[in-house]
Amino acid sequence: MTTGRWLVISCVAALAAVPLLGSATMVQYGISALSIAALAQAWNILGGYTGYASFGNSVFYGLGAYGTAIAMVDGHQSFGVGLGCGVALAVACAWLFGGPILRLRGPYFAIATLGLSGAMSAVVSNLGFAGKNVGLILPLYRGDELFYELSLALLVLCTLAVAWIARSRFGAGLVAIRENEDAALVMGVNTPRYKALALMLAAGFSAVAGGIHAYWSTFIDPASAFDSTLNVKMVIMTVFGGPGTVLGPIVGAFSLSAISELLASQLSTMASAFYGLVIVLAVVFMPGGLMELGRGFRRGGRHYFLDNMRRFRL
Amino acid sequence: MHLAAQILLNGILLGGLYGLMALGMGLVWGVLNIVNLAHGAFIMLGGYAVYYCYAGLGIDPFAALPIAMVGLFCLGYLVQRFVLSLIARAALLSTLLVTFGIDVVLTYLALFAFSADFRTINPSYAGDHFDLGGLTVPLAQLGAFATALVLAGGLRMFLARTRTGRAIRATAQNLTAARLHGINPRRIYPLSFGIGTALAGAAGGLYGVVSQVTPYMGNTLTAKSFVIAILGGLDRPLGVIAGGVALGIAEATTDIYLDPTYRNAIGFGMLVGILVLRPTRLFERA
Amino acid sequence: MRCTLVALALVSCHRDPAGSEDAPIQLGAALQITGPLANTGRYYRDGYQIAVEQINAKGGITVAGHKRQLALKLLDSQSDVNLGVRQYVQLLSQDKVDFLLGPFSSNDALNDSSVAEKYEVPMVQGGGASSQIFSRGYRYVFGTLPPADNYFDSTLKMMLKLPPRPPKTAALVCADDSFDVSVAQGTRKLLAAAGIELVVDKQYPEHTPEFSSILSLIKSKPPDIILWSGHEPQALNFLRQAKSLGVDANLATSYTVGVPAADFRTALGKDAELAFGMTPWIPSKDLKDDWFGDGDSFAAAYEQKFGYAPDYHAASAVADVEVFAKAIEAAGSLARARVRDAIAGVDFHSLYGRVKFGATGQIALPELVVQIQSGQVVPIYADDFINKPVYPVPAWDKR
Repeated sequence: MTTGRWLVISCVAALAAVPLLGSATMVQYGISALSIAALAQAWNILGGYTGYASFGNSVFYGLGAYGTAIAMVDGHQSFGVGLGCGVALAVACAWLFGGPILRLRGPYFAIATLGLSGAMSAVVSNLGFAGKNVGLILPLYRGDELFYELSLALLVLCTLAVAWIARSRFGAGLVAIRENEDAALVMGVNTPRYKALALMLAAGFSAVAGGIHAYWSTFIDPASAFDSTLNVKMVIMTVFGGPGTVLGPIVGAFSLSAISELLASQLSTMASAFYGLVIVLAVVFMPGGLMELGRGFRRGGRHYFLDNMRRFRL
Repeated sequence: MHLAAQILLNGILLGGLYGLMALGMGLVWGVLNIVNLAHGAFIMLGGYAVYYCYAGLGIDPFAALPIAMVGLFCLGYLVQRFVLSLIARAALLSTLLVTFGIDVVLTYLALFAFSADFRTINPSYAGDHFDLGGLTVPLAQLGAFATALVLAGGLRMFLARTRTGRAIRATAQNLTAARLHGINPRRIYPLSFGIGTALAGAAGGLYGVVSQVTPYMGNTLTAKSFVIAILGGLDRPLGVIAGGVALGIAEATTDIYLDPTYRNAIGFGMLVGILVLRPTRLFERA
Repeated sequence: MRCTLVALALVSCHRDPAGSEDAPIQLGAALQITGPLANTGRYYRDGYQIAVEQINAKGGITVAGHKRQLALKLLDSQSDVNLGVRQYVQLLSQDKVDFLLGPFSSNDALNDSSVAEKYEVPMVQGGGASSQIFSRGYRYVFGTLPPADNYFDSTLKMMLKLPPRPPKTAALVCADDSFDVSVAQGTRKLLAAAGIELVVDKQYPEHTPEFSSILSLIKSKPPDIILWSGHEPQALNFLRQAKSLGVDANLATSYTVGVPAADFRTALGKDAELAFGMTPWIPSKDLKDDWFGDGDSFAAAYEQKFGYAPDYHAASAVADVEVFAKAIEAAGSLARARVRDAIAGVDFHSLYGRVKFGATGQIALPELVVQIQSGQVVPIYADDFINKPVYPVPAWDKR
């Protein structure tokens, strides 16, 4: 095997060993970091590769959470079955709404996904069996290690999927759609079908993340399940790391999570202001993310940043 | 008192204010192709500006609106000139992210400067109302509605009749052609953005009279503005007001005939519905 | 913020003059110091702080013969429920606090208490009143806010006794979050038992400030009383919009929140006049306390230290810290299971009132009915009349 592969495997092994060697806080932090990294990676399929920037993936996360919760609380099913229900619910939603929404371009698609997420949250908050706005309480499970390993497994699985996409014909089709959708259509790419598949893949992975969150926090309500802050987080992390690359979302998610935790512990309230500033600076000076930064910086040094600015400004 | 008629009136009056909120966002979106996620933050700042004029200087809120608008115009101008212009030609995603970042920073600064306490702008006439054929017409809400109409009408006339207004429209329609005619986008863009934020500021001030001002009020208002701007056709001022009124009526009727908890579902549902069902022709320009 | 951190550091470093070398007992909490709920979250931050300082100043607590100090570790959850949960885990595993204090709001308490139960660490929270928190069979979670279901109990009892006549119809307007759903469910039962007909029963989405439709509906079927429950900012909006639409109850309107708080009255000015509200606590010389003397002294000390008057949230927070002090002393050790059992058995008088937990872990305190008269919060009724209310409340245009 190549050195690259060995490196990846040892990283995964090291991460998997954290619950055994690290503290409970590390496990805690790990669960959230891995989870958001998985969400970013799922977003990457639709936003990074296909070029359809969704601002409402939290709808799938929330449906995954609620599917799991309803199955476990109302249906008295096991966690595994619950996750399955959550994924089914999210993928069904993607299939149902994907068609009409994916016909929209650019900002309208983004706004439509935002609207979908908001609408779903509002609808769920009126459903009795979903606990309305008060939410659902899941059975208590003592064992954060399980959730950690599950989140890690999800991230690995999602990344493998993206790696496969990157090499496959399907992925080439997605990139073609991103670069020039009309040309792709003319060249014979089944754009509606490809887009729908990308959306359903993203939905499925996001749903698993949501299901894990539900069981882990033992309590969900519309606000926490359809958490709208996640939407921007997963986008930012992917863009920060490098959209349309295999490792970009992971790099972006881990680095931004670390920066955010650091800022929160050092500066507390000021943290969010700095976070906003980081986002603005990153988008202006390194729109290709960290992955491209490496290459760009080697080529042009600090001119890389200035060039980016010059390229896109008025 | 006829309940249905009163509900309709409530919806219309509130809707006017909603429309004013979305006016600025629609203008900026239609002209600069910027989807401003920080729009709610500018509304919020306008609210605080009017609050401090009223509470600190004793100026009547409606009289303080021009002051707030000038202040917010300057802020918007600077933000566009020095931050947003840097990504003017980048992908849409960049704009969304940068405006989100600006929103976060502005919200934090507001929290830091004004604390989390909620403020109301409570002039003596705020609770007054008069009867009109069995309907109760709240004075403050009526004033907000009237102001919204005046500002929307003013914007429309500005865009249609004045030189600068026509320059703005020209830039929106065809940047290259506009440049060829000597219009400088470096001046037009910040100007348009500034007008957008000025309108947002006015809406914020009125919102403070009718409701209240907190550093966090921006997020829900941004989302509402999306719905209304799209309903109303982005940079068509009177259309946006009509969109606002439509949403206001929809919400008011939902409250009574369904349940208030369905409000947001209706609002977002309308958003998705409009986007999906409206003919794509109307979006070609963007 | 820096000042708070420095103050907390100083408090933690304070050495017992008796020269005890034992490390201070750490109490941890993740509070809404910033964010939409910061307005009320600050009562908890300041309440915990003043309580710890006062207890330490009076010599700390005695654990199995040793004098120990209390220390406080507070984190800012930024009103983000998810962040709050992570911070509670951090407090336990990284900061290694001994016991937990709660956040504000039933939603946050609901989530955060799961952490306490998972790790089997006693948590005494004074910010969540929803019965949902206490209906899960958890053993390690205790609450010093009385059950939301009974909030309107004393108000209704009072209104049934007042002239000119007992109310026959009511309008109930409640938000849809955990606390308010509990209030609504309980209140419906109370109204049914009292034979009062519910003519308007509307639930509104938690953070919405828009009530014009509900108010117009109420106006079309004028009720004798209006009962409102939700968060403070919305109470403010409801009142103002009621005035601007000319909506009155025939007899009176009562709010579960807002009325006791100073900023409510400041923001509304004259409009707040004659509104009915409730509080489980009002400063009083009759509420004796082992560390603060009595309720009045506490209120004075609090206002002097923090620059604003405390309300029941702050008093509840102080009670939480006092519970730990009493329980740890009673248990004679820091073993969590023992302290948990000691907490379940506490029964003492404090500046907050009598502190004793029921079988589910929730305190039982009556809500004191209050009314705003001439800008002051006047206690009206507990089990009997304390002061004379202005009732029925005249309509808006007759004031």
